Amino acid sequence: MLSRVAERVYWMARYLERAEKTARLINVHTALLMDLPGRMEINWYTLIRLFNADSLFREHYQRGDETSIMLFLIADRNNPASLASSLANVRENVRTSLDVLPEEIWEQANQIHLLMTDSLPRIADRYNRQIFLREVMKHCQCIRGALDSHMSRDHSFDFMQIGKHLERADMSSRILEMTSLLLSEGRSDTLRKYDGIVWTNLLQALSARQMYLQHIHSRVEGQRVMRFLLNDDVFPGSIGYCLSAMGRRMRYLPDPELAATMAQRIFEHLQAHDLSTIPAEQVHTLMDYLQVELGVLHGEIAKTWFYPDHVGQQQSQG
Amino acid sequence: MKTEWNQYDPGSLYDELIAAKHQPREASFRLVEYLRHLTPDRFRQCVQESEAVIREMGITFTVYSDAGNIDRAWPFDIIPRIIPAKEWDCTEMGLKQRIRALNRFIQDIYNGAHIIKDGVIPADVVLQSKGYREACLGMTPPHGVWANICGSDLVRHSDGVMYVLEDNLRVPSGVAYMLENRNITKRVLPEIFNTLPIRPVSDYPAHLYEMLASLRPDLDDPTIALMTPGIYNSAYFEHAFLARQAGLVLLEGADLSIGKDGYVYMKTIKGLERVDVIYRRIDDEFIDPEVFHPDSMLGVPGIMRAWKEGKIAIANAPGCGVADDKVIYAYVPDMIRYYLGEEPTLPNVPTYVCRRQEDRDYVLEHLAELVVKPANESGGYGMLVGPHSTPEKVEEFRHLIQENPNNYIAQPTLSLSVTPTACEIQANPAEQRRADDPQTRIRIAPRHVDLRPFILSGKDIFVTPGGLTRVALVEGSLVVNSSQGGGSKDTWIVGDVLEGEEI
Repeated sequence: MLSRVAERVYWMARYLERAEKTARLINVHTALLMDLPGRMEINWYTLIRLFNADSLFREHYQRGDETSIMLFLIADRNNPASLASSLANVRENVRTSLDVLPEEIWEQANQIHLLMTDSLPRIADRYNRQIFLREVMKHCQCIRGALDSHMSRDHSFDFMQIGKHLERADMSSRILEMTSLLLSEGRSDTLRKYDGIVWTNLLQALSARQMYLQHIHSRVEGQRVMRFLLNDDVFPGSIGYCLSAMGRRMRYLPDPELAATMAQRIFEHLQAHDLSTIPAEQVHTLMDYLQVELGVLHGEIAKTWFYPDHVGQQQSQG
Repeated sequence: MKTEWNQYDPGSLYDELIAAKHQPREASFRLVEYLRHLTPDRFRQCVQESEAVIREMGITFTVYSDAGNIDRAWPFDIIPRIIPAKEWDCTEMGLKQRIRALNRFIQDIYNGAHIIKDGVIPADVVLQSKGYREACLGMTPPHGVWANICGSDLVRHSDGVMYVLEDNLRVPSGVAYMLENRNITKRVLPEIFNTLPIRPVSDYPAHLYEMLASLRPDLDDPTIALMTPGIYNSAYFEHAFLARQAGLVLLEGADLSIGKDGYVYMKTIKGLERVDVIYRRIDDEFIDPEVFHPDSMLGVPGIMRAWKEGKIAIANAPGCGVADDKVIYAYVPDMIRYYLGEEPTLPNVPTYVCRRQEDRDYVLEHLAELVVKPANESGGYGMLVGPHSTPEKVEEFRHLIQENPNNYIAQPTLSLSVTPTACEIQANPAEQRRADDPQTRIRIAPRHVDLRPFILSGKDIFVTPGGLTRVALVEGSLVVNSSQGGGSKDTWIVGDVLEGEEI
C-alpha cells in the first residue's frame, strides 16, 4: 500500500469523525442552552474555548454572539476546525483515494458537500441550522455504514480505524476538558442547580448517555461520568477504548512497535489516575497532557507509515 | 400569522395565554409576539416538522377498537401552554401537601385505620374502593410511602382557580409524552427559547431513578427494573422510553421468578440475577396470581410474599390504589386537615357524594347541569356531562344512580380554561388535521385543556415543573383523553424575564 494513500484514508477518517462530532456537539449544546438560564458560565462562547480557538475567533469576529460563533464553527473556511473545513477535507481525501474506497462513498461525499453549500445561507436561523446539523450527522453515519459493511479488512481499513479512534479520543478529551469547569469548587450556584442536566448533555454530545445509563446503573454524576468516558473498556467513545483499539489496529500493520507502544503508554497513564480524587484543576492538566500526547502519537504514525524516508516529514493536514 | 392572532377571541372563557382579545398575559407576551410574526408558511412548516418528528421518533399510543389495535401517532399542538412561575410555585406546594396526606392516608388504612375510627371517613367508603387490598394490611413500605408516582389532574375553572380533578395513583401514564413534547418544541420553535426563562423538564428520568433507588436505602447500587405488561399495552411506548431514559431493565412478568430464598430474580444469560426494585406498570390485581387474579399471565407468583418480607420494593406499592377512587377523592381535603393539620392549598372540585341522602337528592334534581362519574373508571369512560348530553342519557344516569348510589359522585360542570390551538378551517373540525395541504388555512382557536403534573415520592418529593397539558382538539369538547380525540401540548413554567437578558 502506498504511504500517500494510507495518509489520505487516515485523514479522511479523522475528518469524518471530526465533522460528525462537531455537528453533534453544536446540536446538543444548542439544546442545552435552551434549558439553562441566561448569564452563567456555560454559554455560546464555551464552544469556542472547547476548540481552543479564542485568538483565531477574535481575529475575525467582533461579537461573541450566537450568530458569529455559529458562523465561525460551521461555515468559516478560515477556521480549520469548522464543519465546512472538515467536510471539504473529507471530500478532498475521498476524491484522491477513489481507487481504494467503495464507490458509494464518493457519492455520499458529494451529497454532503452539496448539502453544506445549499444550507450555509440559512444557518443563522436556529431552526434551519438544527435541521441541517442532523442531516450532516445522518450523512456521516451513512458513509461510516458503507465503509463498515463494504470494505475488506485490509490496511486501508486499518488506517481509517486508527484515524477515527485518534480523532475520537481527541474530541472526547476536549469535551472532558470543559468538565473542569463543572467540577470546580468555585462554580456558581446556578450551575450547581443544573449539574444533572449539564452532565447528561455532555454524555449526549459524545453519544454516550444511553450506554452510560445501561452500564453504570446510577444517576448521572460527575465523577462517574468522567470515569466512564476516560476508562470504560466497552464503550467505543471512551478514551481508553479508543487507545486500545488503535493499538490493536497498529499491530496489523508492518513495524508497529514504536507507535503501538506509545498508544499503550498513554493508555496506562490514564488507567493510573483515580479520577474520583482528582481536583478540577488537574482534570484540565490531564486532558492537556492527553491532547499533547495524541499529537505526538500522530507524529509517530506519520513517521512510521506516511513518511518512511523521513524526507518532507510534516503535518500536511491537520 | 398576525391576522390569525388578531382574530383570536377566547370570549368569556378563561384563556391560559390571552387575558382578552388582543391582550396576551404577561408571561405569554413574548411567545405570542413571536408566533404573530411567523408567516403562515413558516408556521405550517413548524406543524409539519412536528408531525414528521413524531412519526420519525415513533411516538405512538395504542387505541383498542373492534377493528383491532391501532398504533396512532401522538396528536400534538405546537403552541405551548404557559404557567407563570409564581403561580406554579404555589401549585407545586399544594401538590406536595396533597401527596403527603394521601400517603399518610394509605399507610393509615392498612395500619389501624385511625381516620375511620375518628369518624372522618366512613369505613364502607374505604372498603368499596376497588383499589383496597386486604393482602396489604399491616404492611409499611419504605419511607411509609405507597404512591411513589402520582399523576394528579388539574383543571382551571372560569374563576381562574386551579382545581384538583383527580389523583391517579395506580399506574399513571403520560410523563414520556411530557418529555417528548418538550423535545419537539425545542426542534420546531428553537428561537423562542432565547428570550424566556423556561424551566427544564429533561431531568425527570434522573429523579425517577433516584426515587426508585431510595426505596432500597440499604443498598448502594440496587438493580431496578420496569415491569411492563408487554408490547400490546397502550402505554408500551412510555414503558420502553422511561426504561431507556432512566437506565432501568425493561422486563415482563415472565422474565421474573422467586428464588428459594424468597428474593426476586430475573432470568439472564448469566443465570438468575437478583432484582431489588420494581417499577410496575401493571395493575396490582395482576401482579401475583397467588394472591389476586389466579389466571393472570402477567404477574409473578409469590412476588407479594417477597414484597411483604421487604425482599423487593415495588412502586407503586400494591394496594395504593385505595386512594384512587372518585368517592374517596371527596374526602382528600379532610385528610389534609386530619393528618397534616393544615388547610388544603389546592382546592378540590366541589363534589356531591351520591351515597349521602342530601347530596343524592340535589344531584337527581340538577342532573342536567352536573357531571356524573362512576367511582372506579378512568380514561373518561362511563361519564355523564349533563349540559352536553341528551335527555335520554340523563334519564339513563338517573336510573344508574338510584340503583347504585354508592358508585357515583357528581360535580358542577366546570368551564375548563382554554388556550390558543392550531386548527384547520374546515367544515368538520373532528377530521384529522392535514397541515401538508397548502390549500388548508390554519386558524388559531381556543380549545379546552387540563394539566397532569407528576409527583415522585420516595425519600424526598419531586414535582415536575408543569406536566402534561392535554387538549380537547374538537371544538367545544371537554374530553381531553387521547383515546377519545384529545391531543397534547408542551407546558412551560416561565419565570420573570430580566431586562435585556439573552440566553
